Amino acid sequence: MDATIFGAWVATGLTLLIFSFLYKDNPLFKLAEHLYVGVSVGYTIVKAYDTVLVHLVVKPIVEQGEISLLIPVGIGMLMLTRYVPKAAWMSRYAFAFIVGMGAGLAIPRTISSFILKQVEDTIRPLLSIGGSDGVTFSMNLLNPASNLNAIIILLGVSSVLFYFFFSIEHTGAGKVVARTGIMFLMISFGAAFGYTVMARMSLLIGRLTDLIEYSDASYGRPTIWLLMGIVGALFLLSRKRQEHPPDSH
Amino acid sequence: MLKIDRRIIFLVIGLCTLLPLLYPVGLPIKISSEVRGVYDHIESLPEQSVFLLSIDFDPASKPELYPQAIALLRHAFRKNLRVITMTLWVSGTGMADQIVTQVAKEMSKEYGTDYAFLGWSPGGQAVIINMGQDLYSAFPSDYGGRPTKELAVLNGVRNLKDVGYMVDLGAGKPGVEEWYVFGKDKYKFELGGGCTGVMAPGLYPLLRSGQINGLIGGLRGAAEYEILIDQKGQAVAGMDAQSATHIAIIVLVIICNVFYLSLRRAARAQGQAG
Repeated sequence: MDATIFGAWVATGLTLLIFSFLYKDNPLFKLAEHLYVGVSVGYTIVKAYDTVLVHLVVKPIVEQGEISLLIPVGIGMLMLTRYVPKAAWMSRYAFAFIVGMGAGLAIPRTISSFILKQVEDTIRPLLSIGGSDGVTFSMNLLNPASNLNAIIILLGVSSVLFYFFFSIEHTGAGKVVARTGIMFLMISFGAAFGYTVMARMSLLIGRLTDLIEYSDASYGRPTIWLLMGIVGALFLLSRKRQEHPPDSH
Repeated sequence: MLKIDRRIIFLVIGLCTLLPLLYPVGLPIKISSEVRGVYDHIESLPEQSVFLLSIDFDPASKPELYPQAIALLRHAFRKNLRVITMTLWVSGTGMADQIVTQVAKEMSKEYGTDYAFLGWSPGGQAVIINMGQDLYSAFPSDYGGRPTKELAVLNGVRNLKDVGYMVDLGAGKPGVEEWYVFGKDKYKFELGGGCTGVMAPGLYPLLRSGQINGLIGGLRGAAEYEILIDQKGQAVAGMDAQSATHIAIIVLVIICNVFYLSLRRAARAQGQAG
């Protein structure tokens, strides 16, 4: 059998087995779920072994004599001492190295990228100087740099920050500002959820596109045959469960 | 209605997705400025500029990011750019190789001269920093085991500063944010992004502040890019289904709210009468 056709049958079968969960939880779904986890982990282990151990460690040391690589290898090996209780303390040096280096790399870059740059972009002039005409105000909501958008950002940032400022009771004028903050947050959550729905639908579209393609005669119509097979199997499982209900004790 | 079997909702959504895929309507697709940002920058690059594409996703995000990768590679190859591809996701290595090889074959490009796939290197953000200092230290050999120093496509490229444009197609971490924080912010090269729909709202602040110069968000973004390069593919084909499912979800939300409010009103009236 051609590898493409075999792949089509496997992909179709696994997709339909996973979709069978939409009817109800069943052993066929669990089989596909466990296969997915197993294959993913297996693939990752093989790739990591080949790329890291073979190509980045063993070959450079043995073939090119890069002895300095033994230092990171040694630090990495210290992590394995976690499995030997008496020597587990040695793994702390490896963790200390990773945490220290990671924090040192991440903290200044994150502050620069996500705090300073974002603050800089948030603080924008509410009015623009427009050549010889003096001060101008642009109303174009579609232009991110427009003055109207700058006012909306000012209102949003101030009210949301106030909403999370708990040292003052949110009453009177403070209540209005806090509720404005909630409105901005809700709009933001709504936009995020809308995008999430779009993403999930895209995944469904992707799988259905493949199922339609694999219903073609050139692949041996795996979609149709496997769909019939899985529906039949679900029916038999359902009958079996009715005849022998699972023990509740 | 509020106690409707959820399987009926699944069926409605399934039909709303399946029918437009079988019988496409061809709804118009408007190009957004964020997607145009990536397209325009690639268009502005002179021939033989270095274009780096990091394919940072695995098969779980394939429906959204695979069409983006295909469209970007077609555009870059058509512009005769020197295309360097890589991945920071070990689980996406095989798929990334398949994508690059497929488009290169379609565009009759030669490996080593026109493009290269460097494969995966462990370390995530450390790889980005390493590439910023010395690309050959981060990737001593390519995916096929050939020494990267021998690849003609990398002539004159020492580190990330020599890259004309870089686009990251990310489905999580490491992804677009890491490429900005540890790459562009430090080594000053032009960066664009592509991401799943879930991630897009989180990346808009980077776009607005100019930290990235364009963003392709989800299947919709991929469809826009396919329209821009005038090569319609999987993403455009899926947009009718996307619109139909969105309408179905909006209708379901409205119906459920109407029933919920009418039930609440009825319960209140009953309470007052009692």
